[in-house]
Amino acid sequence: MKKIFLLLALSFCAAWAVAQDKGNMLIKNGTVLTVTKGTLTETDVLVKDGKISQIGKNIAAPQGAKVIDATGLFVMPGIIDAHSHIAIDGINEATSPVTAEVAEGDVINPLQISIYRALGGGVTAVHAMHGSANAIGGQCETLKLRYGTFDGDAMKMEGAPRTIKFALGENPTRVHGGGNNIVPRTRMGVEFVIRKSFSDAKKYMEDWDSYNKNKLVKGFRGAPPVYNLRLETLAEILKGNIIIHCHSYRADEIFMLLKVCKDFGIKRITFQHVNEGFKVAPELAAFGAMASVFSDWWSYKFEVYYSTAYNAAILTKNGVVTSINSDDAEMMRHLYHEAAKTQKYGQLSDDEALSLITINPAKQLGIDSRTGSLEVGKDADIAIFKNHPLSIYGVPQFTIVDGIVRFDRANDPADMRLMVDPKQNIDEPTFIEKGRDNCMDGTEFLFSETDKK
Amino acid sequence: MIKNLLRSLAAALVCLWWPQLISAQDEKPVAPVGRTYALINATIVQAPGRKIEKGTVVMKDGLITAVGAGISIPPEAIIIKADSMYVYAGFIDGLSHAGVTKPKEEKQEKPKDPGNPPADRAGITPQNDVRNWLNPNDKSVEDLRNLGFTVSQVVPYGNFLPGSGAIVLLGGKSPDDMVLVNNSALYSELTGTQGLYPNTVMAVMAKWRELYKNASLNKSYSSAYASNRSGITRPVSDRILEAFYPVIDQRIPVLFKSEKVMETQRVFTLKNDLGFALTIADVKEGWPIINKIKSSNAKVFLSLDLPDEVKKEDLPAGQAGKKDDKKGANLLAGQARKDSVKTETKKPEVKKEKTPFDLEKEVLEKRKKDAIALYTSQSSSFSKAGVEFGFSALSAKTKDIQANLRRMIAAGLTEDAALTALTVAPARILGLTDRMGTIDNGKMANLVVSDKPYFNEKAKIRYVFVDGNLYKMEAKETKKSDGKVVAKGNWSYTTESPQGAGSGKIVIKEDNGNYSGTITSASTGKETELRNISLDGSSLSFSYDYSMGATVKIDVTVKIDGDTFEGTLTAGQYGSFPIKATRDPKSK
Repeated sequence: MKKIFLLLALSFCAAWAVAQDKGNMLIKNGTVLTVTKGTLTETDVLVKDGKISQIGKNIAAPQGAKVIDATGLFVMPGIIDAHSHIAIDGINEATSPVTAEVAEGDVINPLQISIYRALGGGVTAVHAMHGSANAIGGQCETLKLRYGTFDGDAMKMEGAPRTIKFALGENPTRVHGGGNNIVPRTRMGVEFVIRKSFSDAKKYMEDWDSYNKNKLVKGFRGAPPVYNLRLETLAEILKGNIIIHCHSYRADEIFMLLKVCKDFGIKRITFQHVNEGFKVAPELAAFGAMASVFSDWWSYKFEVYYSTAYNAAILTKNGVVTSINSDDAEMMRHLYHEAAKTQKYGQLSDDEALSLITINPAKQLGIDSRTGSLEVGKDADIAIFKNHPLSIYGVPQFTIVDGIVRFDRANDPADMRLMVDPKQNIDEPTFIEKGRDNCMDGTEFLFSETDKK
Repeated sequence: MIKNLLRSLAAALVCLWWPQLISAQDEKPVAPVGRTYALINATIVQAPGRKIEKGTVVMKDGLITAVGAGISIPPEAIIIKADSMYVYAGFIDGLSHAGVTKPKEEKQEKPKDPGNPPADRAGITPQNDVRNWLNPNDKSVEDLRNLGFTVSQVVPYGNFLPGSGAIVLLGGKSPDDMVLVNNSALYSELTGTQGLYPNTVMAVMAKWRELYKNASLNKSYSSAYASNRSGITRPVSDRILEAFYPVIDQRIPVLFKSEKVMETQRVFTLKNDLGFALTIADVKEGWPIINKIKSSNAKVFLSLDLPDEVKKEDLPAGQAGKKDDKKGANLLAGQARKDSVKTETKKPEVKKEKTPFDLEKEVLEKRKKDAIALYTSQSSSFSKAGVEFGFSALSAKTKDIQANLRRMIAAGLTEDAALTALTVAPARILGLTDRMGTIDNGKMANLVVSDKPYFNEKAKIRYVFVDGNLYKMEAKETKKSDGKVVAKGNWSYTTESPQGAGSGKIVIKEDNGNYSGTITSASTGKETELRNISLDGSSLSFSYDYSMGATVKIDVTVKIDGDTFEGTLTAGQYGSFPIKATRDPKSK
């Protein structure tokens, strides 16, 4: 018995130790789908210290390096989900229409089993997002799925740009206008809230700038402005240091936010869901805004009735950097199927379709110099499939993060929990509900209030 | 007028009841004829590894004045024959609410703007002082003292920033009489308020940073102002920000409740961002991050609470099929379902093959058992890793504490290490080494005397000295309760989730073994009917529907223990959360 504890304890320690490790390996003789540099058959990929160091034929395996025989298999960049809510404790701070100061980076939960399940679908990085209850929600965090660590910080993709969640339309108006009877109750109100926030942030920035300037003057003894983490964060958006990811559906509101961004000099924005993106695709492309969409999910509420499965293809053909996301722990495991749907609806090429779940989400998160394609010098975040990933027969075999195998289909134990709840009742059935919009998690208390009214 | 009358009537009643209350107590402070005592002929464990056989401890006016074998006893001393008994330094608890009165929960109107509630509604009351709620006659003081604890660091009730803590004696005539160190730490929890800002952990952390930063700014501006008040705007007076000043000066630590492994790391994030001195307490899941804790230099109090052991009857022994038809089996392989049907037809018991469900359940049970072992061996792991720690009683049931210490020892903690964690280590962590932690001349007369070595299963505590005052425990046989578990009654529950804490009432009625009941949330006031209420041994389960746009089925499974229960609330994909409740004993 004691031995087992020891083993268990040791395996935890081991997981701890490898958390930030970088691996070495040689992937032999696969069909390499680089996404950006074409498809290379019977090709090897050499990984050194967690980076791709060489792609070519007949690469000799360095001594002691792990070798994966990929003969007959497809080697692609690890899938990136630009819209996810896994691996975090708490999705919505739904108490205020603006909560720019809160950060998902503070509440990463590396113990969630959904991380391992995502790895099982070839996903190597996710954008762990705040929900869509607020016009300006919290900051999001780009995570690498280094499952096995107990350290939330070790999951963060070091050096990834800061991002923040915005939301337009029904969710913020329902929560704050409907739930609490405060602004915003309408789409006009949402625009007002965003514009006012940016104006306040501008004023705040000026106050601090002038205080800091005055401080340099000899003899200055003035009081500092009150520190406000919310305005501080909004100011960082105005300075271009935080990328906006905005939950949005309708063309008019998307266009509205483009105008707001223009007025405040904000350049980096990705629209999320963006079901009516096909109506404003040229405008999005002209602005340089990007779009992250569902393949074919709609009509779950009024504002998403006007939708099409051709959305991703239309946006792509209009030159909008487009990704397909999951917003859902289950759908995340077959994003390659979601991407493949654009070949039925829009005839996208293999590379175009694969871009939707690799290099394009990487661009939207500002991490495309390091991930999203198989190129020398990039991080070794790799998914290896049996059958082509865009085929209905495609099945992930290995998922590799920083050159370390985090999922191996041939060696996939039934119970991969890192932590077991000692109070859990084993008889308890875990029932699974599908298709809920996780974006509104954490706002339930508001609706029970509304029901009562 | 009538109110006043009622109040004086109530006071009169209390006076009438008073003598009875005293006599109902198991222990009585011996009349303070003199404050000189001599414990003689005892085995004195002065400190872990330092033992005197057949020794004497002399105490006078609250201090230890002599310790040793064959020392002379002052003539005025009251002699206590402690033959074959064991004497230890009084135990020190790192975090509890002992003697702290819980403010009454009043249903308050929801603020107009939940994003900007008054500070006290948001749990932001760091200016509060736990001394305002101290009551030496509170039962929790006696309960902890009966286990040998003589000193505790106590904090106010609340979430987020409830106020400052104090180090108190577990005994005394008045609240002030108890206090050894006031403002010993600024207490905080990473818990928000449901429905109000800050609600989630991430918002609590954001607000923490903002408050701290503004306190720093305000503090330095105030001192600039103090040096020359002429010609500049006066700084604002703000009790909330001022409560952070001693923390900013590193004069006191921030004391964080941090039970869970993620919670502890989030506290470290704040510490690293802001640079305050940190004490983490009631740590329950520290072993996976032991190196991180060690290198953080945080002071550590491990929880005295442990998860229940898996009892033999809980283990699957082929009978797992019995309930399967109702519960989770249909989620598993179809074979399991077939098997349950077989059970239903009540064929004579044949030794049947294990179904996939049985096998899976066995594996899961085993992992659960291994997990419990990890919790139990936490203190031993800390000891082996060389991380100094004390214990905290905050969330432990007092009646489990001695057994839990024995479980820790069985899991590898040495008795000396356990004693260290109860005496020397907390004294050092709390800065009390000059006054307590060992039995030496000049230290405070805080002692615990047991009839057998303290960690022996049969040991009974006979005497506890707090500040030189004797508390005597009758060596009574523990009454065996009839062990009947009752579900019926009016329960007040609390839950915790990443979205904040929740509370309310559960009413369960029983009619010839048929249960019915309701649950009412304190935040919404909405009453919901309970379904499938069943009591199996001490395990109570029920479910109800929770409406949040769509309807979610909530399953609750708890273990009843006297007038309390503890267990899990499962809300579908939203996860499982702890739920606890206490029952109004009159409602049984």
